[in-house]
Amino acid sequence: MLTAITRAFRTPDLRNKLLFTLGIIALFRLGSVLPTPGVHTDNVRRCLAEATQGEAGNIYGMVQLFSGGALLKLSVFALGIMPYITASIILQLLTVVIPRLEALKKEGQSGTAKITQYTRYLTIGLAVLQSTAFVALARTGQLFQNCREPLLINQDPITIITMVIVMTAGTSVVMWLGELITDRGIGNGMSILIFTQVVAVFPAELMNIFRASAWTFTAVMVVGVFMIAAVVFVEQAQRRIPVQYAKRMVGRRMYGGTSTYIPLKVNQAGIIPVIFASSLLYLPQLVTTLFASSENPNAVVQWISQNLVTGDTPAYMITFFLLIVFFTYFYVSITFNPVEVADNMKKYGGFIPGIRPGRPTAEYLNYVLTRLTAPGALYLGLISMVPIVALAVAGASQNFPFGGTSILIMVGVGLDTVKQIESQLQQRNYEGFLK
Amino acid sequence: MASISDLFRRFLDRPGSVNLTPFLKVVAEAGKREERVKALDQLPPPPAGDLAEFCAIVREAADRTLGLRPYDVQLTGALALLAGHVAEMATGEGKTLSGAIAAAGYALQGHRVHVISVNDYLARRDAEWMGPFYEALGVSVGWIGQTSTREERREAYARQVTYGSVSEIGFDVLRDRLSTDVADLVMTEPNVALVDEADSVLVDEARVPLVMAGATDRGGAVPQTAALVRRLVRGYHYEIDDQARNVYLTSKGIDAVEQALGVTDLYGDPAQITDVNLALHAHALLTKDVDYIVRDGKVHLINPSRGRVALLQRWPDGLQAAVEAKEAIPASETGEILDSVTVQGLITRYPQVCGMTGTAVAVGEQLREFYNLTVAVIPPNRACVRVDEEDRLFATIADKRRALVEEIAAAHALGRPILIGTLDVAESEELADLLRARGLECVVLNAKNDAEEASIVARAGEHGAITVSTQMAGRGTDIRLGEGVAELGGLYVIGCGRHASSRLDDQLRGRAGRQGDPGGSAFFVALDDDLITQYAPEERPPAPDADGVVRHRRAAYLVGHAQRVAEGVNLEIHRNTWRYTRLLEKQRELVLERREKVLRGDSAGDGLAEAAPERWAELLDTVPEEVLQEAARAIVLYHLDRGWADHLAFLNDLREGIHLRALGRMSPIDEFHREAVPAYATFMAEVESKALTTFAEADITADGLTMPGELKRPSSTWTYLVQDNPFGSEWDRVFKRISASVRG
Repeated sequence: MLTAITRAFRTPDLRNKLLFTLGIIALFRLGSVLPTPGVHTDNVRRCLAEATQGEAGNIYGMVQLFSGGALLKLSVFALGIMPYITASIILQLLTVVIPRLEALKKEGQSGTAKITQYTRYLTIGLAVLQSTAFVALARTGQLFQNCREPLLINQDPITIITMVIVMTAGTSVVMWLGELITDRGIGNGMSILIFTQVVAVFPAELMNIFRASAWTFTAVMVVGVFMIAAVVFVEQAQRRIPVQYAKRMVGRRMYGGTSTYIPLKVNQAGIIPVIFASSLLYLPQLVTTLFASSENPNAVVQWISQNLVTGDTPAYMITFFLLIVFFTYFYVSITFNPVEVADNMKKYGGFIPGIRPGRPTAEYLNYVLTRLTAPGALYLGLISMVPIVALAVAGASQNFPFGGTSILIMVGVGLDTVKQIESQLQQRNYEGFLK
Repeated sequence: MASISDLFRRFLDRPGSVNLTPFLKVVAEAGKREERVKALDQLPPPPAGDLAEFCAIVREAADRTLGLRPYDVQLTGALALLAGHVAEMATGEGKTLSGAIAAAGYALQGHRVHVISVNDYLARRDAEWMGPFYEALGVSVGWIGQTSTREERREAYARQVTYGSVSEIGFDVLRDRLSTDVADLVMTEPNVALVDEADSVLVDEARVPLVMAGATDRGGAVPQTAALVRRLVRGYHYEIDDQARNVYLTSKGIDAVEQALGVTDLYGDPAQITDVNLALHAHALLTKDVDYIVRDGKVHLINPSRGRVALLQRWPDGLQAAVEAKEAIPASETGEILDSVTVQGLITRYPQVCGMTGTAVAVGEQLREFYNLTVAVIPPNRACVRVDEEDRLFATIADKRRALVEEIAAAHALGRPILIGTLDVAESEELADLLRARGLECVVLNAKNDAEEASIVARAGEHGAITVSTQMAGRGTDIRLGEGVAELGGLYVIGCGRHASSRLDDQLRGRAGRQGDPGGSAFFVALDDDLITQYAPEERPPAPDADGVVRHRRAAYLVGHAQRVAEGVNLEIHRNTWRYTRLLEKQRELVLERREKVLRGDSAGDGLAEAAPERWAELLDTVPEEVLQEAARAIVLYHLDRGWADHLAFLNDLREGIHLRALGRMSPIDEFHREAVPAYATFMAEVESKALTTFAEADITADGLTMPGELKRPSSTWTYLVQDNPFGSEWDRVFKRISASVRG
């Protein structure tokens, strides 16, 4: 991998693409730490420090993860890519409901371009909403629960409007940066930006751990490296189901005959199950926050707050694990439809040697997939448990950097990007084996 | 200021069109010099540097030699071409002359120009028509066609300006690439390409790679299989997919075939199932008189985008034999791919490219994406006054035909000439029969009588003429109005259905209303036309009124939608063809570089001498060095070509199933590259080792080398479609499932 990158830097146009991407990332990070005009930076910093030390986990966990800490810093790019992701999901859902949108989607590139345009408009709409809500929270001091210092320099409407406009504009710029990376850089823009934000918090977190204890730091590093290696290993693992196409009648030379296959990954579901499971586990926290203030909490709420809010209880761990296993099966079943795959193969004259096209093929695929998903689900569950267990055993900080989600995102995006670099390298470096 | 609003408009235009102001200035300047040039007895050779003087002289030259005095807009068009743009000029504006002026301009600058047109007929007509003009300017001109011999081709390519169809030029490139003797080469270095009907050549034809095939043995299709599939029933034994591109057996069908063949597992033997699949494809997807015609006991393919017979074109990989078995014709030779080139690969060889067409703006985005070309919109000399009516929509094809005949009879009663554009050969003949049954005499122009094309077109504008044509009349043909026709409303163009692209519709419309002539056009569309049933199958069309006419607003939307879906599908095919061949073109470039060295030098012999010095020395005792070098060259070329054909076969194979990789969340195109690059390395290494083996074993005497076999080279072309990811992205799949469950 390192050699691939050094070689990439020696290939002029690839080097330009890489430098372009790095430049965009630098810009993106700059915007993520640059405070929005009107923010009282000193106070925000003080509150932020208090919040991370405080035991109360913040409800913005996932958002904070995707925003690389920019959100609570009230920076120009505070909203990050979340509005764009939300807008894409909403539009995708709308294509299900609105026939005109569905028709547009079928019209190919020109239709998709229109949908993309709508997504951009919706992103800006969402950004206006979110930034307004967010600035309002900051104004009333509800952003940080335990910090009562004023976060804005004044309450002038002009200041507030400026902040909303700047954050909205920031979101549009982030959207543009992502598209620029996809167009002219390397990798998928949105993934790269998410990757950047996930990794961005690492140095600070590691520094915190190091300050606390050098021993813990070493242990965390060792575990981290080991986990990354394990994740890379499993992410690459796949079962290849050979497929033959019987449409052409030419004595063709077979290069081992293994080039046409369906790659079924051990982790066919990717990271989504973990995100679903963690999102669902914020619910108990929400419940306790809502009902905690009541004078005499009932037994259920009490039980929940004791067992399902922090990760160091067996109930939490078991629930989390089971949820991940469930969502893995669920997600694989909706993204990989054996019947559809079998139909597609049948249409184009493809078949799995020894198995009839149509239903028998679908059944076979389903059989293999179900068995393959079991280790996949276990793996996802275990990886996600590591930080929680580490927390329970070593008493490490809640913000343990090598969380399951972070590692899966990091490795996933990293692998994809390196693969793309390699593929582009291969296309350009023929000199290596041709005199 | 007008120019500021103009500038702003161009800025908003996506993709922007070229600013014509500098060209207009040159043309105005040329106008001032007109009197002086007119007075000259002998025209001086036009200076290549001074564009105004150049324009003034060519205008006079065209007037004197052709009797055509180029309008200002034609000169503007020529200047846009000389600047390397795609000029959009309406039909009848004299594109041919503009093109000739530009070609002459390039030639006088010392370039060698290929004027690339859509078909041989136009190439030859234009070259001969413009001949005197070129001659007056001292520029040599030639043309090539399907029937040109090698010598004729070489001579034509040696001229400063060469006219030829895109497929002929492409095949010459391919043939040259496979020649084993320097003396056989016909082409010169690519220099300037001037593309006529640029959207057709650069966009429509670009979906179809030109493929050079070598004949192997006779086709293996068995007539029994053809007889077997004839008994199968659509919908029960087999299904055809929505866009009529694929056919497949149902499980009932598999049972029936297994029973008929007396086997238990049809999928046990790949050869057997391939045979059945091919026979089924020939039976269910290829229709006589639509996709091919049978003439002189042979199957001839019809090019779908031009409606012409494609000589020498054949289906690949056993399909041709399957069609022959279906028509009970003796099997001809079957082909193996030796090499292929996409239009894109062909055109991008030229350092300078420009083009002209009547419909460029609609594909402006694609011209920029794929060829880096910008469009210059040239205003018409006289504004077009053609009346384009709204589409007339009918519930069924039968209703449509009835209304068509009525409409034709009514217009014919007035004496107005009518041109009817049909979508395929079969439809043109059916319609002609209907018209004749009504006592309306008509002329049919389709792939079966393309030889009479020029004379049919010449009469199409006369009083009372009815011409039924396939798409071949859609381009390049200039229909002049007969006497007294203008008063009747000019030529009336009727389309028998919308095409798969709005550009083709516009081209057909453009046959009427040339040079400010009056004219009219109307399209008759049935809601069960192929376009709609194939591309918008799930939409429910609105109900017709009592007379079978559909007047609901949604119907017009539906037709437009189906057409846009078709355009989207075709664009995707074009893009995939290009994405998946880009790497191939790169590899080919390297192979050609190597081949060139072998062909023109002694690198083959030197290489072998170095790798097997004893054998070389041993042979040198009995064989003169020259002969030995020649033998080495032949051996290496043989293995290089053989290996390249194998490599191509492997890549085609790989590409067929590469979309399955998307299921493992991998990018199919990246995966394709990951496999193709190492395969190329293997291929190169194998060429070397095999050449060495042959060199060690072959019989080389003073008379030369006796080779074990040689590649033959007839030619054929076909489309192969690449599907990149039919399953959609992961999110698409999630939402598809949601929508399926929401709608039950």
